[in-house]
Amino acid sequence: MQTSQLVDHFFRTEYGKAVSHLTSRFGSSNLELAEDSVQEALIKAMQTWPYSQIPDNPTGWILRVARNKMIDQLRRDQKTNNHEVPERVEEMKEDLSLESINDDMVRMMFACCHPTLSQEYQIILTLKILGGLSVREISSSLLKKEETVAKAYTRAKKKFKKEEIKLILPPAHEIEKRLEIVLKIIYLLFNEGYKSAEGESLIRKDLCEDAIRLNGVLLESEICNTPSANALMALMHFHVSRFVARVDQEGNVISLEDQDRSKWDQELIQRGLSYLDIASEEGGINEYLIQAAISATHCRATSFDETDWNNILGLYDLQLQLTPSPIVELNRAVVLEKVHGPLLGLKEVERLEATQFFEEYYLFYAIKSEMLHKVGNIEGAKAALQTAVDLTKNEREKDYLTNKLSNF
Amino acid sequence: MKKYLYVFRGGDDGYADQSPEEMQAHMQRWGEWMAKVKAEGYPLQSEGKVVGPGGKIVTDGPFAEGKEIVGGYVHLDAKDLDHAVELSKDCPIFEFGGTTEVREIITDMGM
Repeated sequence: MQTSQLVDHFFRTEYGKAVSHLTSRFGSSNLELAEDSVQEALIKAMQTWPYSQIPDNPTGWILRVARNKMIDQLRRDQKTNNHEVPERVEEMKEDLSLESINDDMVRMMFACCHPTLSQEYQIILTLKILGGLSVREISSSLLKKEETVAKAYTRAKKKFKKEEIKLILPPAHEIEKRLEIVLKIIYLLFNEGYKSAEGESLIRKDLCEDAIRLNGVLLESEICNTPSANALMALMHFHVSRFVARVDQEGNVISLEDQDRSKWDQELIQRGLSYLDIASEEGGINEYLIQAAISATHCRATSFDETDWNNILGLYDLQLQLTPSPIVELNRAVVLEKVHGPLLGLKEVERLEATQFFEEYYLFYAIKSEMLHKVGNIEGAKAALQTAVDLTKNEREKDYLTNKLSNF
Repeated sequence: MKKYLYVFRGGDDGYADQSPEEMQAHMQRWGEWMAKVKAEGYPLQSEGKVVGPGGKIVTDGPFAEGKEIVGGYVHLDAKDLDHAVELSKDCPIFEFGGTTEVREIITDMGM
């Protein structure tokens, strides 16, 4: 096998696997050593593989080299502590089953998303350890300063140690609550990748792919293969199926209405639909299931006009009962306009405006403008759109809205 | 065609803070470069041993200075020294400040 034949992001995914595996084996107090050992193993792979060829089992090679490096270091440290250090290995047979490594990663996900850690720490730990991203890469994907991320990561690791967070599965009665946090983090990672708050790149596809990959790791584990986890997986598949259709060649946003639906990735949609089936089997309702069902309705419509808006409105009503939020109400208002016409839609938007929740939210004004335009109030529509342009920080969104404004 | 040897030195300092993604990309460029020079090379272990006088093995010592480490070597066939130098110019080792030394291998001892 040539080096070019390695799958994309192989090193990055192996990093997550190997660090999870070694930390599971040697305890979370050795997290840092595990990270260093895996980094060194990857450097060794990088330096030697191009000369000859990639080993038949590259995953096993990296795990073995990293593990041996770690054992060497632990032996050197042994003088100061009395921990038993296992023997070096020439083969990694006993640990190499996919299930075993998958379980290590699941344990690591629960550890990174431990309830004693803040959400910021949870996200950074997950991206660094399981996503295999460097601090520099995390800072550019989260649009934060490198220094800020580096500091937060150091603090997060300290907290990790201080709380003695162990790499174990939560007890059965806690699984549901703990899994909820893990899913939330995956969902946030995905959103971060799907729609950035500012900056040039609208879609940071890698983050979305990571979120899907980590959700896949959860689904491989029996105790985590829940309706919520499947629903979230479905939801993310529906969204990524529109990646190509969502932006034009210049990188400008294309609205759902104007997207070329032949560009939607049908394979991803089909996979999403099968996750949705599994998620709905038990008949329960969860937040992700409703969002996935809404997304599926869009995916099924052959054109914007044929969208089953009645169905979507029903789903929004359901979501409002389950998780009331102004953002859900705003999105529902858009659907309300499709079903009952712009007058009713505008009335709802004006009701929401009175709550003052949306004063800083550009999308609210973009939606308000749309409604005003439809009822024939062109001046009002222009003013609202100008407010939206002023509020958005994303260059692409700004261009899109400015362009729309000039066409009024 | 004559036989030449590329001796790679240094470049290791920059590796430690590369991300896994960057390492994979770097490795891929090595692979592409290797394919380009159609070399048949063999890596020299970085934990090398130095053989002292009388065959006594002295370990590690002379390898302490990072920049002096021979990272590996590759031998290749090229038309002449200029050609061998030309082929080495886009070697990925330069990305991290390493060097490539080009030596001709004498195959004909004039006998």
